[in-house]
Amino acid sequence: MTSDATTTYDSPSGWRAVGRYGLLVVVSAMVLFPVYTTVVAALKPGNKVLENPLIPDAFTLEVLGDAWTEGRLGRFLLNSLIVAVIITVAQVVTAVLSAYAFALLQFPGRTVLFVVFLATLLVPIEATLVVNRRTVDSLGWLNSYAGLTVPFLAAAFGTFLMRQVFLTLPRDLRDAAAIDGVGHLGFLRHVAVPLVRPTIGAMALFGFLGAFSQYLWPNLITTETDMYTVQSGLRQLSESRLDQPNLVMAGVIIAAVPIAVVLLIFQRQLVRGLTAGGVKG
Amino acid sequence: MRLVRRRVAVGLGGCLLVAACGSGRSILDAGNEPVPTTTSPPSTTPVTAPPGQTLPSTIPTTTVVQTTTTTPLDSLPPCPVDALPTEGEPVQITFWHGFGTEIEQTLLALTEEYHASQDAVRVTLQNQGGYRQTIDKFFQSGQDSRPQLVSMPEYMLQQTADSSTVIPVGACIEASDYDTAAFLPGVLEAYRTSGVQWAMPFNVSDPVLYYNRRTFEAAGLDPDDPPLSIEELRATSQAIVDSGAARYGIAFDSGVDSGGGWFLEQWFAKAGELYADNGNGRLGRATRVLYSGPSGVELLSAVQSLIADGLAVYVGDNPNGQDALLKLADPVNAAAMTISSSGALGTVINVLDGGLIPNITSADLGIGPMPGPDGNPLALVGGASLYIVAEKGDAEAAAAWDYVQYLVDAQVQSKWAAATGYVPVREDATEVDPLRALYATDPRFLVAYDTVRAAPPNDPSALGPVVGPLREVRSATAGAVAAIFAGADVATSLAAAAQQSDALITDYNARN
Repeated sequence: MTSDATTTYDSPSGWRAVGRYGLLVVVSAMVLFPVYTTVVAALKPGNKVLENPLIPDAFTLEVLGDAWTEGRLGRFLLNSLIVAVIITVAQVVTAVLSAYAFALLQFPGRTVLFVVFLATLLVPIEATLVVNRRTVDSLGWLNSYAGLTVPFLAAAFGTFLMRQVFLTLPRDLRDAAAIDGVGHLGFLRHVAVPLVRPTIGAMALFGFLGAFSQYLWPNLITTETDMYTVQSGLRQLSESRLDQPNLVMAGVIIAAVPIAVVLLIFQRQLVRGLTAGGVKG
Repeated sequence: MRLVRRRVAVGLGGCLLVAACGSGRSILDAGNEPVPTTTSPPSTTPVTAPPGQTLPSTIPTTTVVQTTTTTPLDSLPPCPVDALPTEGEPVQITFWHGFGTEIEQTLLALTEEYHASQDAVRVTLQNQGGYRQTIDKFFQSGQDSRPQLVSMPEYMLQQTADSSTVIPVGACIEASDYDTAAFLPGVLEAYRTSGVQWAMPFNVSDPVLYYNRRTFEAAGLDPDDPPLSIEELRATSQAIVDSGAARYGIAFDSGVDSGGGWFLEQWFAKAGELYADNGNGRLGRATRVLYSGPSGVELLSAVQSLIADGLAVYVGDNPNGQDALLKLADPVNAAAMTISSSGALGTVINVLDGGLIPNITSADLGIGPMPGPDGNPLALVGGASLYIVAEKGDAEAAAAWDYVQYLVDAQVQSKWAAATGYVPVREDATEVDPLRALYATDPRFLVAYDTVRAAPPNDPSALGPVVGPLREVRSATAGAVAAIFAGADVATSLAAAAQQSDALITDYNARN
């Protein structure tokens, strides 16, 4: 950040600053309002929820406990975490390896292959849903972690992101390594990956968030409640507890905790990773 | 410190958004709603009957085949009722259903009692999270992944029958000489088509009028005399609005399985009219819908004018079924009445008893028959029924049949209906406790039972439509009803929906 920018932000003058902060306050309030109502509802006992829904005039932690036990959120969260971790790790590995090949190896048909690879980004999951469901069914993978994860082990977006960042690595690095007798895997492991770690972190985070918040696919291939992920569990909670909106809100908060933790830990990487390709250097 | 707090807040907001996005509707549900455009719609003859004539005879019947087509039972999978081993390990079967938690608890308790009563069969209940999810998963699965027993809502009859995936319950009834004399005749008949009893009714519900008795009293109306006809509904709503007892008389929705689809079928039954040709699809396969005729236009015009005149309020498509009911509890712009499934009655009373709604107690809740044409207090059978899945093994089929017989036993139906508010499938269930006691002490539960019983079982109009793509047809009508409630021209909207529905049926019939 330049010193000019710092000056502008630190001592904004008069009405402009008022306007700017006013706008920020309004936008923040809009973003935080649903969060606020969720928290208020989740911390109220059942009979107080619809009375003054915006005012926290009663408090109990019981509802959170009830949501945890009655909604079986422990089991569902565990399923979601297992699924999200497997998908994240696999996506990082497949993306780094394929992106390296696309960025630094010369082989015939490289460009065509990469375009085809990218084209899969244009196919939404809904288009392949039924066919994938049939395939997974015929493999006997309904209600299994294999069925929940295998279709997502590689993602074109990850490959694209990693390829872009590998392309920014100076060619000289690879040449120097080659002269020293370092092979591709050695170069990847000791030089390339450490250099692009922020991008990998950002990609892992996106992969994790995407996998954790999946609803459609897990819902479609699980028929046994034990294999539900947390989003299916929340859906079930909200459909079956029409009379207990506070329980559903408590469930939402519990389900959001892992994402909040992951986001807090990786927030810096997320920002750095996203801006990494933004500045030509 | 401030920075950290902001991060927490932003992070939490972000993940709540992510979590919220995760709980969208099934895309399979969504995908079923648009009407396929691959088929050309059949030529629709404009309805030329003079106004006032509302009987089905006024509707052109060029495609109606008035001969009953029956499928012989021996051309269908047999029911191996004697295949249940009497000793050795119990036979394990899986039962897919879509009941909400409260109702599921009752089903679990009944199943535990079943397990305690015998050693030959063990049932695993698997909740698929709703009717729609159950349907999607059942039809998307291969036969190996399907359960031995599945619960499907009433609108799936033709499609399940056509799917060659089930053993007709009629085959089991015949093979084991099962006595159905005590069943409500219309309830059993509702799940029969082409002469075959495909499914065993299990949970029966129908739409009833929910109303606030205190508002009726405040408006100077008799809370024991709810409106039965559309004209009475208008007069009652006018009295309520004029007296200021409530902002609106009645709340309507346009949900697929409520005001937009199911209720329309109910209204046609009350009018004694067919909703689809070929005797509502019960004499032969339905080829087109008949709801866009003069009586459909007259009916929906009457409802539309209630909304336009401020006597009724339209609450949208009511996806979870609670929006119309919650309008009764609206602290500012309440409605005094709404129409909802009787299957919600147990839950609604529990909610009111739990004190969730500040201004209404369960004693304030009144229940009456759904108002409709001619004030006819009859209702079509709604809810769901049990299908025994084919090709899952003889012992498993016999085990499923054994469990089905248990679930429709008089004593079990008495407990089931008393705990949930569903209508029992047989009359003798009302002669044993706890249902006998409940009907004696709380006549609100009796309304749905009486209206289902009032439907004559030999009249196709009172048995409801059997149409292959009825789920999609309801989506088409729901779209039209939503437009009508928002002020669109009634005849045009209904004609367009009927044309879409006919195209869906033509396409379905060509494929099955």
